[in-house]
Amino acid sequence: MTALLQLENLSIVAGDSVLVEPISLTLAKGQRLTILGETGAGKSLLIQAIMGLLPPPLRRQGTVRIVGQDIDTLSRKDQQRLWGHHISMLPQEPWYSLDPLMRSQQQVAEVYECVQQERPDQANVKAQRDLVGVGLGEAGHRLPGQLSGGMAQRLAFCAATAGGAEIVLADEPTKGLDISRRDYIAALLRQKGEDGAVLTITHDVEVARQIGGTIMVMRNGRLVEQGNAESLLGAPSAGYTQELINAAPESWPSVRRHQPNVSRATVLEAQGLEKTRGGKTLFKELDLVINQGEIVGITGDSGCGKSSLGDILLGLLPADKGRVVRAPGVAPYKYLKLYQDPLAAFASAASLKQLFDDVIRLHGLDARKVPPLLEQLRLSPALLDRAVHEVSGGELQRLAIARALLLEPVFLFADEPVSRLDPITAREVALLLTQVATEHNCAVLLVSHDPYLVEKTCDRTLALGAPE
Amino acid sequence: MRRVKQLNGSQQIGAAILACLVGFAFLEWLLNGTDPAVQNLGNLFAAPSLAEPLGTDQFGRSMLARMGAALRLSLLLSLVCVLTSATIGVALGVLAGWREGWIDRIVSFVLNMVLALPGLVLILLFAGLAPGSLLMLYLGISLVLWVEYFRVVRAITRASVASSPMQASRMLGFGSFYCFKRHVWPALLTPVLTLAAFGAAASILALAALGFVAVGLRPPTAELGLMMVELFPYYSEAPWVLAQPVFAVFLLIIALNLLAGKTK
Amino acid sequence: MIGLLLRRLLQAAFVCWSIGTLTFILLRLLPGDMEFRIAAGRYGHDNVDLAAAEAVRAELGLDQPVWQLYLNWLLDLMRFNLGDSLVSGLPVVHEMLHLLEHTLMLAGAATVVSLLIAIPVGLYAALKANGWFDRLSLMVSAFLRAQPIFMIGLALILLFSLELRMLPVAGFDGPRYLVLPAISLALAMAAVSSRVVRHSASEVFRSAFFTFSRIKGLTFRQAFLRHGLRNCSLPVVVFLGIQLASVIEGVVMIESLFSWPGLGHGLAHAIFSRDVPMIQGAAIALGLIFVGLNLIVDLTCYAIDPRSREAA
Repeated sequence: MTALLQLENLSIVAGDSVLVEPISLTLAKGQRLTILGETGAGKSLLIQAIMGLLPPPLRRQGTVRIVGQDIDTLSRKDQQRLWGHHISMLPQEPWYSLDPLMRSQQQVAEVYECVQQERPDQANVKAQRDLVGVGLGEAGHRLPGQLSGGMAQRLAFCAATAGGAEIVLADEPTKGLDISRRDYIAALLRQKGEDGAVLTITHDVEVARQIGGTIMVMRNGRLVEQGNAESLLGAPSAGYTQELINAAPESWPSVRRHQPNVSRATVLEAQGLEKTRGGKTLFKELDLVINQGEIVGITGDSGCGKSSLGDILLGLLPADKGRVVRAPGVAPYKYLKLYQDPLAAFASAASLKQLFDDVIRLHGLDARKVPPLLEQLRLSPALLDRAVHEVSGGELQRLAIARALLLEPVFLFADEPVSRLDPITAREVALLLTQVATEHNCAVLLVSHDPYLVEKTCDRTLALGAPE
Repeated sequence: MRRVKQLNGSQQIGAAILACLVGFAFLEWLLNGTDPAVQNLGNLFAAPSLAEPLGTDQFGRSMLARMGAALRLSLLLSLVCVLTSATIGVALGVLAGWREGWIDRIVSFVLNMVLALPGLVLILLFAGLAPGSLLMLYLGISLVLWVEYFRVVRAITRASVASSPMQASRMLGFGSFYCFKRHVWPALLTPVLTLAAFGAAASILALAALGFVAVGLRPPTAELGLMMVELFPYYSEAPWVLAQPVFAVFLLIIALNLLAGKTK
Repeated sequence: MIGLLLRRLLQAAFVCWSIGTLTFILLRLLPGDMEFRIAAGRYGHDNVDLAAAEAVRAELGLDQPVWQLYLNWLLDLMRFNLGDSLVSGLPVVHEMLHLLEHTLMLAGAATVVSLLIAIPVGLYAALKANGWFDRLSLMVSAFLRAQPIFMIGLALILLFSLELRMLPVAGFDGPRYLVLPAISLALAMAAVSSRVVRHSASEVFRSAFFTFSRIKGLTFRQAFLRHGLRNCSLPVVVFLGIQLASVIEGVVMIESLFSWPGLGHGLAHAIFSRDVPMIQGAAIALGLIFVGLNLIVDLTCYAIDPRSREAA
């Protein structure tokens, strides 16, 4: 059995600093290999290095053999001739990787035409067959802009593999996808790995488990451990691997919250809400009561109107029908929102300290409340001296929570507050949010596409159905 | 000073060239008492000398005095035009972008009217119906220039008002003035300064163009476009004199274009 | 699609109305009695007397109230009755058609030449982004953009007409006369559009979808023809729409410089000789060309971009 892809002491350096430490691996026909680790761990660079796509200041060291050929012995042109024919790549951002002006089926058909030298009509038949195979039979005439993220990724999969490449590299192929769509892509990769070879890079333990084969855990450009998927995820030897496994919401501890006393005040009540978007009814006759200090989860696939519901409750978006009533006598600024992208909550032109001072001055708050609050959220007060762009996403999200809690709010709408964060950070932030909000007696409406996350953190859950 | 440091390399070069031109125009006015209109028919096309560092023109007038006057005219007119159009454009743009509704509709209506005509034709119409009037030139150029500020400022204001950072500030209880200061103004500053540099270049070119097609200012005014037409017939006789207004316009425009930074 | 046509049609009506109103207002705003000014325009400043002014007043019905004059003015406009030239006495519409032909010839030739320069230069600069050719073309473009457009024309006249005596200086008497004005205008246009081509092409070359089309197995040539061309032509065409205003402005300058018998020259000439009906006619004609060119750009975008068809 010859190796399709072979790396020998492959490392990636920028000037003097080593970004990815030497790594060796062999991938033969019928094998699947998944590299697991947080984003920013140099995993994506590895795939770019194999494809020969490293951006200029970065360099590759060590040997890469594709279908037995050492790519250092090939000219750049010959190296690119391997693309599509022997090795292909599934992009991280499928939307940006598809030609926005070309219809879906054509983007697959042209590969049969150009790479396999098929006649146009034949190419079209094959492309149609491929699209049907991944459940896109009806979408062939659509433009990429009219596809959902999951559909775009399936289309990209068809396009990437139509040229007949045995080796498929996939860089975070399930990023931002709902669970059911994520599982579909994982299944496609697993299938492809049975008659070819698949190298996947992901931060999602569940994806790694579903693809199976071998798993290599990487952290900060260094190999932590490797082994068979089942045994490694079942009994990891490295602490970091255990941390990654624990970071998946399935493995979070259920927050055992002290039983609320029965006579809690209502902070927000919605009656008979209805919202239609693009001709689809997202929800109708929806009633919802949110009580003080309660944590309510909303789940559903993307596009089901979860975020719209939250915005309607806050009065940021008008409902088509129904009304929202706030508790009487509570100042309007005690109803606040946390954004999916924490950057969205802060003015980028001012420093964090300035923004916190603005809030303190506006409401005549006690500035001495800030340090204990930051400590509660495990933040260093020194972070305030930085600009918005100089702190990490997890820190910024916690700073957003801190700024909100300064005002002692009664209701917080958290719109996918951790979906942009790394799993380990996401776990920390999500658990802190619910814990600290409970301590401050603030109700939280937590929206997430991940039913496990909501199940583990919320008192009760509202599932919005898929749009009709 | 802080702003100067924020400029990139080519912007600094642009700023330096512009500073030299402004310095020349100002110092010439301060130190050189020669009247740019005084003719000396006995001293036509004198080569540069100590007494006349830039030589003389076809009527023996001092080119140093004429270049100083012409640069002052171009610089001042462009400054006034930019200030007027920027003030009007930014004010209306913020108002229309923020409030939307009827203000937006009225101003957009006027905007469409101005946009339906290429700028120079509009300026020509203004200039043509009162020839030689600097006021009409000023009105015409400003009328054409404010449109660009309005469009850009309105779009940015709209985006800022709809942006989630501003939504967040609103929820935190901040008022309109704070939102303007923290969200809208910082987003406006750089594009408006860029537009101002382009606008200044556009008004200098328009002034020269009108002088060139003889519907702008009238001789004997020292104006760069006018000087080019007047001196062109003598291109082989006194190329260095013709080169002066040509070079001055070139320097002005390239300085402003460099200062404006990368074109989009 | 219909909406697109309708919008531009509305804009065309708007152009006629706004220019008509503007010329009317400006005419009334000017100091001095209008009949004297018109008479002066017709017969020269020295030949104006009370009788001549009275004759003009009676002929044009200038003693009617302002609103009625304005209505008459607009009604005439709606019937395409733009009046007679005060200088030549010929109907303005007739003169306009003659000038229009020459302007379209010049603008068309200049656009074609500018694209012939801008597209290869821009594409090559994008292929070798930041190479010596890219830098050189940037420098030439910056140099040309820092000139008033008539300077480019003057330099060409100096070189090819006065020094080399290869081409005629000015006027129109056969295709040879078209060369210099068209090239001057084309150079000024290409100075900007070559950079736009360069920019949008390099964006496409660096785009994820272009890389992905290569990874699918397409050769550079195939990827460029199938994905590159259409995607980078879209911003270029949109930009051409924006550039149209400067084309019209360039036409005015270049026609005046080369005494080219077109609308721009006609406008400048009419302004110089205070021929108000001709001013109005030429301005409206230039405005309508502008709207018409914008329509062509709209239709081109519509043809290139399937998304706009989906939306319509």
